Amino acid sequence: MAHVQLAILFTSAALVIIGLYSAIFIDNIIKKIIGISFIEEGANLFIVAIGYKPGGVVPILMPGMDTSWFASNAAYPLPFGLVLTSIVIGASTLAVMLALVMVLYRRYGTLSTKVMLADTSKQEEYDE
Amino acid sequence: MNELIPLMVIVPLMAALLISAFSRFNKVTKIFAFVVAICLPIIPIASNYGLHYFGGYEPMLDNVTNVMFHPAITYSFSFPQQIFIAMIGLLTFLVVFIYLTKYKEVSGPYLFLLFLGTAAVTAMLLTDDIFHMFVFFEILALAQVGIVAASSIDYSYEMALKYMILGSIGSPIMLLGIGFLLALTGSVNVTDIAAAVHNGLVDMTSPVFLLSLGLIFFGWLYASGLPPFHTIKSGIYSKAEPHGAALLQSFTVISMISIVLIMFRIYSSLPIFEVLVVFFSILAMILGVSLALTQTDFRRMIGFLAVGELGFIGLGIGLGTQYAITAGLFQALNEIIITALLFIGFGAIVNATNEVDTRKLGGLLAYHPKVSIMLLIGGLAMAGVPPLSGFQSKLMLVQASLSCGFPEISILAIMVSIATFVVFVKTFYAMFLRPKPNDLEVEGKEVPRSMIFAMGILLIIIILLGIFPDMVINGISSFVGGML
Amino acid sequence: MKLYDQIFDVVKQFRKLFSPGPVTNADVSGSITAEIFIIVSIVLAAILLRHVSVLLAGLVTLILAIVLISNIPLIPKFKIEQEDSLEKMLFYAIVVLCIIVVFLYWGGNLV
Repeated sequence: MAHVQLAILFTSAALVIIGLYSAIFIDNIIKKIIGISFIEEGANLFIVAIGYKPGGVVPILMPGMDTSWFASNAAYPLPFGLVLTSIVIGASTLAVMLALVMVLYRRYGTLSTKVMLADTSKQEEYDE
Repeated sequence: MNELIPLMVIVPLMAALLISAFSRFNKVTKIFAFVVAICLPIIPIASNYGLHYFGGYEPMLDNVTNVMFHPAITYSFSFPQQIFIAMIGLLTFLVVFIYLTKYKEVSGPYLFLLFLGTAAVTAMLLTDDIFHMFVFFEILALAQVGIVAASSIDYSYEMALKYMILGSIGSPIMLLGIGFLLALTGSVNVTDIAAAVHNGLVDMTSPVFLLSLGLIFFGWLYASGLPPFHTIKSGIYSKAEPHGAALLQSFTVISMISIVLIMFRIYSSLPIFEVLVVFFSILAMILGVSLALTQTDFRRMIGFLAVGELGFIGLGIGLGTQYAITAGLFQALNEIIITALLFIGFGAIVNATNEVDTRKLGGLLAYHPKVSIMLLIGGLAMAGVPPLSGFQSKLMLVQASLSCGFPEISILAIMVSIATFVVFVKTFYAMFLRPKPNDLEVEGKEVPRSMIFAMGILLIIIILLGIFPDMVINGISSFVGGML
Repeated sequence: MKLYDQIFDVVKQFRKLFSPGPVTNADVSGSITAEIFIIVSIVLAAILLRHVSVLLAGLVTLILAIVLISNIPLIPKFKIEQEDSLEKMLFYAIVVLCIIVVFLYWGGNLV
């Protein structure tokens, strides 16, 4: 059953690479943000995959379970706790980025990064 | 009392939440923020050194393999943490004081962001758990974006969004690196990981271990503003309000040293680690100062200088000996204070004249003598002129690189200091000494007294640390000796 | 006189860097200082390679010195590369990420 873990690792690598490609090369700001979300979810999936145990049980100690059997048969619970926090972090950064995009869209009227996030150092030098 | 250790993080965090919830009541918010800001430097000074285990889970000794396991999140508090957290607390107090006295109606969410950033860097400095540090690093990134977006300067939203996008590429890469470490050692506690690496349980030449170094190193480059992220860091310094920028640069320095110390404990036996740190620090020093020399907007100029000075800190830590790391940490302490002084001072000038281009300023010495003298001393301190604190730390760095057998780095450090001095002399002349241009309006706008008070306190600390550096160096040196 | 004209051309290119707006002596001299500083410091940092191999250090230093001095007005090119646009920043970030990963994955054992 180890090829389940391998499949998860490949999926997370694919997510990270697709996310990196779209965050760098695509011009639309919303698609860039979707790509960034892909990168974060790929990293989370990778950490979940670390906790995989072939033939393991859910790491919840029920009453009546033998603790040494539990310790050698349960999946590793630490990554699941870490990923919960990480998902929340991803959600908050997504919210902040979308809020900023909303304000900038009202100002510029376009979602293109070339227009919105262009260089501003020359314009403001003599405007102040 | 070891109970004060988690309070150093909880107090600013709870204050931030309460202020943002009850920000309708202006007077209460102001008084509450002021009281909390006064408490912030007092708590680390009053606390004892020691360890704090969250949940009370003491470290366990495994009888079979004789290895200590740390199941709980551990906060470790000793002299360097005390001095850095006290300095950040003092700086937060001064910045909050300037903000409260500048505006009649304060914004609750803005104070929330300032306190949230302070709580985040305090937690990053105290923690012994690498994922805990990553969580607070992300919180710090959100707080920084908020502080930049909240300023009234043109194009600040665009700069905040650029910072957020670059950060959202840098931070998941760091998370991947932490995931690789978790996969190799099964733990996120730095003491456990370092023990596993040093006892030979982890194969140090395996590609997974080396990749984890590379990915966490890239995340560190984003956190500290070293190249290739130096342009975005100096950009956000130039787009935030001056007091906000003073606090932002201190957050950057603290996050840089906390992450690099954790990386040092895990990866110090790999010589490639020190080579990478030294290489990027040298690049930061060269690029920072040469770009600062060509700027006419003095906010950007200080932004690039601040990024360049971070190169000195990385240089000290990258050289790897006890003396060099002590020099790097002492340089970090001086950097926080000096750069804050410069940001607040130049912010006072922007306040008084509404002008940021050095080509249009001039003759301000007659109108604002106190600010100009304090700015001059701050600039000399950054360039490393004795008997100020910058001189002591840079001298230690030059001596450290000479004793490691790299005289080229010493020459480079001295050249960068000379170039920094050139930057300051040029700017000081352009803004204060040459005759005032006719179209410059310096009406009776006074510099707020709170800013002069803040600059005075920072200046006293600079002069004190310059004359008596041993107060701080001995403590840091013994901590570093224990770490190595 | 030719050398003098060449140097004067370099100074004129610096003046273009600061327009639109008044170009003061202080700014141009600052840029010339930055120019000399960059060339000297990069060549000096290349000498550090002598710990790897002395021949490599000598070769790299000579090549860098020739390349840098023959493209003398370096500061305008630097200023254009270090501007604020997102594409340039992303480009450099990804280049550095690829270099770090490749260097560590294949060469991490060498040092």
